[in-house]
Amino acid sequence: MIWVGDVLVSHGEGGVYNERMLGDSRVWDPFRSKLSALYYVGKGIELTHGMRVLYLGAANGTTVSHVADYVDVVYAVEFAPRPMQDLLEVSRRRKNVIPIMADAARPEQYAPLIEAVDLLYQDVAQPEQASIALRNCSFLKSGGILVLMLKTRSVDVRKEPDEVFKDTLAALTSARLIVQESVWLAPYHHDHAAIICTKPIV
Amino acid sequence: MVLYDTNPKFSLMQSYWFGDVGDGHCTLFIGDSNAVIDRIRSVSTSMDSFIPLDWEQAVLCGACRDRADYLARLQALCIADAERSIREQYSRKDAELLQMVRTLDEIDNVINLLSERTAEWYLVRHPAFSRKYRRTPAHVLVKTMREKSKGALGSVAAEIEQLAETRATLAKEVSSRANSVMPNTSALIGGLVAARLLSHAGGLLLLSRLPASAIQVLGARTALFAHLKTQSPCPKHGIIFQHRRVHNAPRNVRGKVARVLAGKLAIAARLDYFRGFIAPEFLDAAQKRIDTTGRGSEP
Repeated sequence: MIWVGDVLVSHGEGGVYNERMLGDSRVWDPFRSKLSALYYVGKGIELTHGMRVLYLGAANGTTVSHVADYVDVVYAVEFAPRPMQDLLEVSRRRKNVIPIMADAARPEQYAPLIEAVDLLYQDVAQPEQASIALRNCSFLKSGGILVLMLKTRSVDVRKEPDEVFKDTLAALTSARLIVQESVWLAPYHHDHAAIICTKPIV
Repeated sequence: MVLYDTNPKFSLMQSYWFGDVGDGHCTLFIGDSNAVIDRIRSVSTSMDSFIPLDWEQAVLCGACRDRADYLARLQALCIADAERSIREQYSRKDAELLQMVRTLDEIDNVINLLSERTAEWYLVRHPAFSRKYRRTPAHVLVKTMREKSKGALGSVAAEIEQLAETRATLAKEVSSRANSVMPNTSALIGGLVAARLLSHAGGLLLLSRLPASAIQVLGARTALFAHLKTQSPCPKHGIIFQHRRVHNAPRNVRGKVARVLAGKLAIAARLDYFRGFIAPEFLDAAQKRIDTTGRGSEP
């Protein structure tokens, strides 16, 4: 990851969402992006040049644009038409963003479009976050990495965030994923946790 | 075209966006982007036996020259696909109604905020003025303020009146569109309230999928979550309180009326989504049931 002093940045065409620029580097704000917050509070995953990424819950393409600055290609899945309009604008300006308008919970609908990926990144506001991630693991190469941004309040508002966190970890481990790191994203995002797993090599 | 001779991985046929790969063969799909999109949408993939595609297959298949070409073609296709989906979703009849009713509610908010503020301003200019003991409706007060004030205050008041006119026009448009988009729901509860239910649910499809119990408390989110988290009583009604049968009902049966009405609305929403035109026999029976609820004469 590229840091300028203690500020996380990425290199690419700026002006996507009026982000601050440091010279020709785009500042990647941890308060706006959960992935950026992960690099501030935890170790995270080094994004490299050759990586292929499946990004579930791409929304307006803010974080997507930063990820795309680092990697080979981002397959960005988003369901809602309104944010999709913004995401399309991002992909018209970036050759390596492939926008896919589909429901992340139904991978069979976009399966014909996607190659095997090194990184599966998920940030969806759904109750079934663990099972959505597991269903999409078919796209992950063995040894590939899953980064799950757990929105505990979307899973169940009545449960304590800690409880949701533990349940999700258990669901991922019982599907034979190996948990590498799990951290809360406070103070940048409340009630959000990041879970990083690897898919075992078979 | 022969790709791999004996690779067992390809013994099963896989359908990808550029063609079918299997048995060491690749069949290139030929057609314009619309045809390819139709094909992708119709392909059913089983995730159990799914093998993610390998872009080099596409090259061997003759779909593209190299990786850059592969990504460019795939991206163009996906953008076209997404644009088509967006067009399809926005051209549904309820998409514009949703924005219309949200704008209407927003205008109401703005009118209230501005009226309150200008009234405060007016009070400073006229220390002897008070609204106590006068039943002055807000629009009359705004008119007085416009007539008796010079400068910016007068023009703000005029602006509020203008906005109120726009609001009235928009309300009529919302009602009449709701009548055509959701005829059964509108017949039961009125176009405006029906449109508000639609707005809270997020669309006609989503509204039609809601259980009656959820429709009953749509718009009472704060009370509902307070109930789920603490011991506070659960809300009896949300937006449907605006229906006269609910807010005119005696307190002790209000919850019951709301429940019956919500039940009928759930059916009406489904009729609206799946059938799309008015169902008189259902409406008659539903109306009768709603009217008699809580009056001791029901079955």
